[in-house]
Amino acid sequence: MIPEPKELRTEEMLLNMGPQHPSTHGVLRLVVKLAGEEVLDVVPHIGYLHTGFEKTMENRTFHQNITFTPRMDYLHSFAHDLAYALSVEKLVGAEVPERARVIRVILNELSRIASHLIFVATGLLDLGALTPYFYAFRERETILDLFEWVTGQRFHHNYIRIGGLKEDLPEEFVPELKKFLDTFDYRVDDYQGLFVGSPIFEGRARGVGVISPEDAIAYGLTGGSLRASGVNYDVRKAYPYCGYETYDFEVPLGERGDTWDRMVVRLEEMRQSARIIRQALERLEPGPIRDPNPHFSFPPKALLSSSMEAVIFHFKLATEGFEVPPGEAYVPTESARGELGYYVIADGGSLPYRVKVRTPSFFNLQALPVAAKGHFFQDLVAILASFDPVLGDVDR
Amino acid sequence: MRRDQAKAYAEEKGIPVREEHGMLHLVLPLPELKVHMRAFKEMGFNYLADVIGVDYLEYPEGTSWQHPERFAVIYELVSMPGFADGDGSRIYPRVYVPEKKPRLESVTDLWPSANFPEREVYDLFGLVFEGHPDLRRILLPEDAEGHPLRKDHSLGETPTLFGEGRYIDPASFRAGLRGKDKGLTGWRGGRRKGERR
Repeated sequence: MIPEPKELRTEEMLLNMGPQHPSTHGVLRLVVKLAGEEVLDVVPHIGYLHTGFEKTMENRTFHQNITFTPRMDYLHSFAHDLAYALSVEKLVGAEVPERARVIRVILNELSRIASHLIFVATGLLDLGALTPYFYAFRERETILDLFEWVTGQRFHHNYIRIGGLKEDLPEEFVPELKKFLDTFDYRVDDYQGLFVGSPIFEGRARGVGVISPEDAIAYGLTGGSLRASGVNYDVRKAYPYCGYETYDFEVPLGERGDTWDRMVVRLEEMRQSARIIRQALERLEPGPIRDPNPHFSFPPKALLSSSMEAVIFHFKLATEGFEVPPGEAYVPTESARGELGYYVIADGGSLPYRVKVRTPSFFNLQALPVAAKGHFFQDLVAILASFDPVLGDVDR
Repeated sequence: MRRDQAKAYAEEKGIPVREEHGMLHLVLPLPELKVHMRAFKEMGFNYLADVIGVDYLEYPEGTSWQHPERFAVIYELVSMPGFADGDGSRIYPRVYVPEKKPRLESVTDLWPSANFPEREVYDLFGLVFEGHPDLRRILLPEDAEGHPLRKDHSLGETPTLFGEGRYIDPASFRAGLRGKDKGLTGWRGGRRKGERR
């Protein structure tokens, strides 16, 4: 007979999670302190995707840098292009024509929808729901096709230029986009029906990973994760850019600040984004798409074969870039993950002196230990997914 | 507006103020950094949006921006709209840190969100934040040497070689773009002769 143990020995366990793990949404490594199944503490270790973009950008001209910006947040990459361009435009005093502003809004919101679709898909995948993943990727594929049509790229668009856009929309784009928008709201309803109200989802998400508004602010949350805690802070409303103040849309807010709220807030945001795109499509009038100032805008391609001056300006812009008056500028914008902005310091030359990217995921990740403490280990994965981190955005 | 309040506070305390592109910059003295930051927090700037490190080693002279020390740390404080009585004011206090003694006080006890960004500044610039609860490298590996965002950190590039021994050295090419040297195209930077604006 096996003798009964006299007493049960328990001890805390340190568990390493990542960096290679599908549910960490990239290369995030978490060192989790566990008492049995309960999470006592989480220490995020980041930097596995650090590429030194900020240093690289100091050594490239202002236009060349648009190549790097979308590579940070590869899901909502258009927001990075836009945020960078807005800061530089503030420094050089560029005036973006109305048509370019409207197109920027349309593409920014489309990109936001694509990013939120990934969020819903992978977030539910982490909870074990496989079906929504395939449905969400169907819509996302349509959006990426639209992007490929306009910009030539699915992910890293490189479509924005300082003072405007690279080129105009192709003719077929607007009808195709309308076709997509016709069905999109019903599709979002479908996704909502797939998980909201399901007892499994309610049990896994309701009351899990609660963050109070005070904690959310103290630990630097922005974006959908902050609004899920009930703080009405959307940069598009608070510090409007690109004419967002003229669009009619609502900011969805959560009440409890738990995983459930963070999921559902972003679903509603997709509907609002579609609403903004519909309004923007009505405003789309023909017109110029770039600031005509030849000192920082590339001349229209048609001119290159007929105008010597256009060729000279094109050559100068492509080789030397344009000089930006000394100064410092920061324009906050709303990416799918929160407040995103580029703090650009110019010294009068044609390379930025310093570019600091305020990426939302980097700050949002600080709130993860606060949210995860006291919950089960299996919920940690769901909580992490509900913050929607993109590791390229965290590490830069 | 809290922004005006902060401006009035700065003028009262003799803190240099600069407004540009709609941004309010305040240059805080290094020894009293914590005192002023606490005052801003009590004023209602409840959200710390960013901590930005800058190395002004190569910043050209003769511009309207003058930098007394090599390093600067720029804070971005927001009175968060939508929370309590936040009104959306944004200020950019900064502090200059000398190269010889690159140490300053941490503000993590006022705003816990300063934790990661201060670690980032420590990692990439080598500025030490006193009183930080967990000051480790954050983006680079623990055994990395140097602080890459310092201007004197080498990029490790190799020159592009052409025929007959000619080559383009990337650093001198960029120096031309920065207006320090003639560079490849012979342009010293700044406005060209006969350029209209």
